[in-house]
Amino acid sequence: MPNVELIKITKRYDNVVANDNINLAIKDGEYVSVIGPSGCGKTTLIKNIAGIIKPDSGDIFIDGKRVNDQPIEDRGIGYVFQNIALFPHMNIWDNVTYGPKVKGWSQKESTPLVKEMLDMIQLSTRVEAYPSELSGGMQQKTAVARALTSRAELLLLDEPLGALDVKVRAKLRYELRRLVKDLHLTALHVTHDQEEAMSISDRVIVMRKGKIVEIGTPFDLYIHPKNIFTANFVGEANFLEGTIAHILEEGSIVDLKNGLRLRVTIKNHKIDDHVVIVFRPEFGVIRDKDDNKTFNRLSGNVIEILYSGNIVRYKVKLVNNATIVFTISLSIQDPKLSVGDNLSIYVPPEHILTYPYPKGGLSKELSLE
Amino acid sequence: MPLIKLVNITKRFGKITALNDINLSVENGEYICILGPTGAGKTTLLRIIAGLLELDEGEVYIEGQLVNDVPPEDRNTVYMFQQFALFPHMDVWQNVSYTPSIKDWDNDKINYVTSEILEMVRLAERRDAYPKELSGGMQQRVALARGIASGARILLLDEPFGALDARLRVNLRSQLRALVKSQKLTTIHVTHDQEEALMTADRVVVLRNGRIEQIGDPNQIYSKPRSIFIANFVGGANFIEGNVKKVDDEGSLIEFRDDFQLRVSTPSTNVGEKVVVTVRHEDTLIRTHPVIGSNNFSCHIESRIFIGDSMVYVLKLENGITKSSKGLLSDNYVIHNIGKQRIFSFQPGKCLIFSYPQTGLLQEIEAV
Amino acid sequence: MLLKPKKPVSSSKLVVWITLIGFIVLVLLPTFYLISYVFLEWDEVRFEVFENPIIGDENWKQMLKVLFFSFRLSFSTVIFDLIFGIPLAYILARKNFPGKSLLEDIVTLPLVMPTSGFGFATLITWTTVAGLGGVLGLNSGLIPLDAFIPLVNVPFIVFIVHVTLTFPYIVRTLATKFRSIDITYEVASRTLGANPLTTFRKILFPLSIPGIFSGSVLAFARSLGETGATIIVAGVSSTASIAIVRWTSEFKLATASFMGSLLVIIAWIIILPVELYLGQGKRSLNVPFVVPISLTNRILKFENYVSKKLSRLKDLVPLFIVAVTVIVPILAILNSVILYWSADPYTGKIEGGVWNQLFGPSQYFNILLRATLTSIIVALVSTFIALCISIPLVFIIERKWYGPPIRSILKIPLIIPTSSLGLSVLLLWVSQGFNLIGSGIWLIILTHIVFAVPVIVESMIAAYEGSDISMYEDSARTLGATAYNAIETVSLPLIKGGIITGFILAFTRSLGETGATFIVMGRDITVPALVVNMVEALAIPAALFTSTYLIILSMFLLVIIRITTRGP
Repeated sequence: MPNVELIKITKRYDNVVANDNINLAIKDGEYVSVIGPSGCGKTTLIKNIAGIIKPDSGDIFIDGKRVNDQPIEDRGIGYVFQNIALFPHMNIWDNVTYGPKVKGWSQKESTPLVKEMLDMIQLSTRVEAYPSELSGGMQQKTAVARALTSRAELLLLDEPLGALDVKVRAKLRYELRRLVKDLHLTALHVTHDQEEAMSISDRVIVMRKGKIVEIGTPFDLYIHPKNIFTANFVGEANFLEGTIAHILEEGSIVDLKNGLRLRVTIKNHKIDDHVVIVFRPEFGVIRDKDDNKTFNRLSGNVIEILYSGNIVRYKVKLVNNATIVFTISLSIQDPKLSVGDNLSIYVPPEHILTYPYPKGGLSKELSLE
Repeated sequence: MPLIKLVNITKRFGKITALNDINLSVENGEYICILGPTGAGKTTLLRIIAGLLELDEGEVYIEGQLVNDVPPEDRNTVYMFQQFALFPHMDVWQNVSYTPSIKDWDNDKINYVTSEILEMVRLAERRDAYPKELSGGMQQRVALARGIASGARILLLDEPFGALDARLRVNLRSQLRALVKSQKLTTIHVTHDQEEALMTADRVVVLRNGRIEQIGDPNQIYSKPRSIFIANFVGGANFIEGNVKKVDDEGSLIEFRDDFQLRVSTPSTNVGEKVVVTVRHEDTLIRTHPVIGSNNFSCHIESRIFIGDSMVYVLKLENGITKSSKGLLSDNYVIHNIGKQRIFSFQPGKCLIFSYPQTGLLQEIEAV
Repeated sequence: MLLKPKKPVSSSKLVVWITLIGFIVLVLLPTFYLISYVFLEWDEVRFEVFENPIIGDENWKQMLKVLFFSFRLSFSTVIFDLIFGIPLAYILARKNFPGKSLLEDIVTLPLVMPTSGFGFATLITWTTVAGLGGVLGLNSGLIPLDAFIPLVNVPFIVFIVHVTLTFPYIVRTLATKFRSIDITYEVASRTLGANPLTTFRKILFPLSIPGIFSGSVLAFARSLGETGATIIVAGVSSTASIAIVRWTSEFKLATASFMGSLLVIIAWIIILPVELYLGQGKRSLNVPFVVPISLTNRILKFENYVSKKLSRLKDLVPLFIVAVTVIVPILAILNSVILYWSADPYTGKIEGGVWNQLFGPSQYFNILLRATLTSIIVALVSTFIALCISIPLVFIIERKWYGPPIRSILKIPLIIPTSSLGLSVLLLWVSQGFNLIGSGIWLIILTHIVFAVPVIVESMIAAYEGSDISMYEDSARTLGATAYNAIETVSLPLIKGGIITGFILAFTRSLGETGATFIVMGRDITVPALVVNMVEALAIPAALFTSTYLIILSMFLLVIIRITTRGP
């Protein structure tokens, strides 16, 4: 159950700074995910910890020991690769016993653990099979078992589910978390899939352009993101520009032009400040058109309707020409709308986040590439 | 007359039958998704339509013409690979104008068409860039632009989002659909992602082990799955094994573990038959009090998983079986704490009933 | 319903037929004619080899001796290559360091270097005062010409030459194989607790066994067939290839062809099992016996120790070998040319100077100019014809069901000793066969085509299979390109690098080829053959100059390879 600490880690590739002065502490037994768009440096980060690459500057501590100069094999880590990397010339048994063998442990010492791991991944009956004979999911489970039989306590997972079908991915991620928690391991899991990260992590690290943007619990990152980038990256959201029109006792009024005004709970802005308000598509409530309460109401015409199972996703064009997305669950209500219909949505002030307008422009902040 | 018609298509690779007696008609302008797990034969089917693979049996018709012996370049189809296959030795402009230039159009026309299409996919400024200098999303757009510029009316997409980040995919799905619809192209899109299929397609074809398991619009596939496999693969569901106790006007009464009973509004055939009842995670509710007219079971909350816009609860009923419930996170949704005693509730109308599969339930729902 | 064949396209059919006929007549027939000749002329063979009225079976005894020597030499060369080539290939494939591409160039150099010139440079380096001996302050060469390596009993200098000339085959093949193996296997092994050396033994080595075998086969065949350099350094020892050249020049065609056939057949007996094994695509060699745990633990400890303490050593020794076998001879011969430029530095005689021999009464410069012209015509024409056959052939190999067997057959000319090949071509086209062409420049061209085709094809196939051509082609086809269009606009541009590399490799090989050329050249002498003649005529300064000239020419070509293959 080791902890990990990174102090001022910087790694450059030619002109690109892949890790820019990263400070990070991971506690014993924590399951932490790293997310961010392609090229944000998330893989570089765990490769630094594993020793697969060497940082240009900064210190890495595993379990309180500085490991910068330790070769990979002495760091006591288990690494799981996106492309799985089971040794193709060895069968499952030889793959899973590889760690104990190269460490020179006696069979008596290692066999019980190996058997336990194989039982856990339900592959005890297929030890003679070669990796290519197994499904992708089975292969990745074997790879995890292989990392664990060498008694790694820090598991570094590099897009471990990336090569698998969505359905398999969703199932395996929970198995991964359970394994890590049952065996009291520490895990650092890199993924580009925010849903995967949210659903299994104690904490999530959001990275962008080599820097850590934010660290928090999945719930905090989703409900109270500290910046626009995180708000956008961890899930779909509506972003609208506006200016502060009034400051009230219980919040502020934001003017969205063309008569659209919304009340928000945040107060620490000045009048005329240029702001971006953010709310999630599922945090709106459909209001009857002739409901005379116009408070925090956004209305417009539905321009697109997409169904994903029982979730309907409406794209609505507001009177100020901005478009917003709004989702509801059909198991709660079915408004039976079609394209062109008018839709009126109430957005509760407590679910609206407000940020100062970003200096580089909003669209740059929302770019996912 | 359908634009594409597949009749009794069979394809074998050695001993493995990759496609088994496939029949499918695609109308002009339709957006079809072929959905299935790895190894279902999706890509094989797509390659056969494109003419990149010869079939063992059956006929492929495009615009009413038998095209079994027509080479890929004459089929009016364009195939987009998962890795996009942009020609690495050509820049964006040369890639997009590839077909016009090999077909020897005059230069003015090539220039006009190419710049028009580049404008449309918002890549006019990157016309001199080489593929490797572009991000994944841009590469996808170049590949689409190249396909559109080829003048082919049928777009064949093999996992078009497979090479892109998850968060980006969500944004690009509706853009892709809007683009091909605006060009009035007929699209066949292969994917293993059920959400992608449901959100982009006019009709979904579910493929499993080389056979078509169901064809229907997304709503049919989702709410009236024809098999346990689809109920599990598309969306996600609770499965309850039980026996039919009674059949009456209101439907059937099913008895499952420890004499627990639940109502299903569809009538089943035989009393005493072993059946599987499915109800989707998102069609179930967690309440503090029983809901009138619904199946209600008292349970306690075992764990809770936050997945962004939704919360998934794992519940344990009093007879020891574990079920899940999923709900959108919104202001009228209450967050339940682990260990609490609650009521697990779902309407009889949301349940589907299947006869117990011969090979066992696990075989049908085991995705891994 | 049964499928009807695809629409027949007459022009593409024609191309396929012309290519296949060209391939069979120009490449296959010459390769196999030798063996059939022995059967046809069996009476004469028996008379000359086994039942000679004067010397009895003396020729046969001689043959056995020579063959035994050749195989001893080739085996020991390959073993030595492997021991030092594996670490070097590993460094080239897996490490990044300044000067890596230079090192790669130096390793490749012997591949493009005309062997006779290089053999002469090696001879100067080791056995004369102008070489290492002089540098170390001795009055003689560092090593006497007749020094033998114990155990295998081959002359030291011959061994050195063979190692140098075959080393690139092992290193390049292996480095390519190592690069093709996903590095994550090795990283995975490291994270599981294995040190670099254990990782190599348990992961990279077993996964690259096919590469090790095919590299060894190439090196072995090259060593077996080497003539140009061997003739210069061998002195009294004779290898099988030299014997063939000698007997041919004495018009003992039956003896020579019998010897050539023996060489081919024995080479095949050794190589065929390896090829068959590789063809099976087995995962790895399974160790059939159980290694005791105490031994494996001792191995592990040793590997740990070496990985931690001696890792530099395994990097430095191969580098040292490359430096000594490749760079030093080049420097030595340059140095000698300068020393000998105006006169023999030891005797002071003007006749012993380079200048005098080139422009003096012997007029070697004019001969050299003519030889250069012959060499370049031969290289250009043969490589061009080979290219015309190779390009369509690669597409046939990659797409037609009969492609894979053609590819296997193509390996044969590569592993046939060149002197046997030359003899075979001679017998096929001249008096005993078709009787169409006499010895001379055209016959040289026909001979060079035989090995140029496989060289170009291999290089193109490497490029083809390394760049997902079929995906790009499929893509082009669905975009409306005909098969021909797709090849022209997509495939050929994408494998351009492979074509150019193949062209230059074949060109340099033709430029430097000696063994086969000697047999078929008649009066049209090429530059490498000229070097041999000069050495035999004891015109040492002229040989020095010509060798240097050849080496510089090949280095220049190497630079072109680097520039063309480094591009995008």
